[in-house]
Amino acid sequence: MNALADMLWVELRKALRSRVPPVAGLMSLFMPLGIGLLVFAARNPEISRQVGLISAKANLLAYSATDWPAYLRLAAMMSGAGGFGVFVFAITWTFGREFVDGTLKDLLAVPVSRAAILLAKFAVVGLWSLVLSLILLLATLVMGALIRLPGGSPAAILQGSGLLLLTSFLAMAVVTPFAFVASVGRGYLLPIGVALLALIAANLLALAGWGEYFPWAVPGLVAQGTELTPVSYVIVALTALAGMLATYAWWMRADQNR
Amino acid sequence: MTLAIETEALGKRYGDVQAVEGLSLQVAPGEIYAFLGLNGAGKTTTIRMLLGMVKPDSGLARVLQAPVRLGRREPWASVGYLVEVPHAYPELTVRDNLEVARRLHPGTPRREVDQTIERLRLTEYADRPAGTLSQGNAQRLGLAKALLHRPRLLILDEPANGLDPAGIVEIRQLLLDLTRQEGATVFMASHILAEVARLAQRIGIIHQGRLLQELDLPALERNRRRRLVLRTRDLQAARRSLEAAGHPAAVLDDGVLEVRSQAVIERPEEVSRLLVQAGAPATHLVVEEEDLEQYFLRLIGVSGGAA
Repeated sequence: MNALADMLWVELRKALRSRVPPVAGLMSLFMPLGIGLLVFAARNPEISRQVGLISAKANLLAYSATDWPAYLRLAAMMSGAGGFGVFVFAITWTFGREFVDGTLKDLLAVPVSRAAILLAKFAVVGLWSLVLSLILLLATLVMGALIRLPGGSPAAILQGSGLLLLTSFLAMAVVTPFAFVASVGRGYLLPIGVALLALIAANLLALAGWGEYFPWAVPGLVAQGTELTPVSYVIVALTALAGMLATYAWWMRADQNR
Repeated sequence: MTLAIETEALGKRYGDVQAVEGLSLQVAPGEIYAFLGLNGAGKTTTIRMLLGMVKPDSGLARVLQAPVRLGRREPWASVGYLVEVPHAYPELTVRDNLEVARRLHPGTPRREVDQTIERLRLTEYADRPAGTLSQGNAQRLGLAKALLHRPRLLILDEPANGLDPAGIVEIRQLLLDLTRQEGATVFMASHILAEVARLAQRIGIIHQGRLLQELDLPALERNRRRRLVLRTRDLQAARRSLEAAGHPAAVLDDGVLEVRSQAVIERPEEVSRLLVQAGAPATHLVVEEEDLEQYFLRLIGVSGGAA
């Protein structure tokens, strides 16, 4: 237990001293800012014309986000994809950096179990992702208030916020395999490539109607309000578990010759 | 005797390359053992197998009596190491990097961080990010991480890398003190032979993945080739008189006469007398001993070894 506490300290220290978390924080801020601006532009065509805002795109969004519930649904959908991207960024950095910085070897022949080291890494990524989700939610709410959306009853806002957080949690759960991919790829490139592939596959499979069985499609479907069976949630949970176990197995067995 | 390190027929292959083959070595507690080899000879692969980072294809390694297996926690509480280039978390300060190392070795007292910083003369840099350190100071930080928890066994890959001459002397003294005063064992891989000759009590020579020879300092002394080298104004007359006395001599390209006969090497004054009698007195006469570098190169069959 003490070893785990020590490893948590170590991982938190590494994360807090790095420039990567603030960058990830900014990335989470940009999403709601962007959505808010687009909705604002769509709802105020005269102003957007005056300042020359990209009105064609804004109009597309405008139809879907005219009040609080629709706006929050749009934000949840964005967090399904964008949030996933930011969480992949966080987990890839946390695991991949040990390879990129050459510090992995200092973690291997030590009297602390690799399980404790990995668990601390996953815990810090989880905590970090949670903070990013809350930033995203908060920024979305502030932005919604600033552009004065109608239909902002407490119940509607609460329900929309819940949807956004649920989408974020699901997106968080399906990023654990990227710790494994970062370890196998010994860096950042492979996990980012695989994440892009996963997003493309998620969209294609969702279109084909099989999205509910593909873990990386589930957060997006939930955000869209698709009715899902418990099977989808079980698949997401199993994916999270499998990602952690695969990472552990790889760290226990693979040769580390760099 | 309980050994600090013991390997039995250790082997590792990467694709077509046999990195290490049939490596059996023994390191006694309290000794400084130098593992010599050219770049790519298999030193680092051996070290990684000793540290459980790479799984051997064959054979077995024991470190402080514990069989080495991937992913185990034993026996690392008592082992400090430095593998290849010393890396540290670049955005963390020197002190934070050592604090990380301390927490990776539970039970290490907090004061060791500051003491180790002082010991490795890093005080001035303690609060600087590790990413800004010079190569020499990065090496010092790497050594500091290895020494922090006062291990009984140090496994060091090229410990003198990147250090300036004063730094090399300092680290040499530090390692000698550790073995003499604290009874620590040092296993160090190196290709800096002058350094090894000054430090090690025993030497293992690895070439193309195989241990060619293991020898202690007296054995090195015995195995070293010695020769008598002389200059004179009449090389041929000198050669003839030496050969007449039963001491074969050779004229080398650089205008010196070389005699390898053991009897002559033990009694150079006899040669001097012979040369005077032959009317070709020596202008220069010296008994040369092969140094470790020449010995090593001769052993691995690389040109440049002593003739």
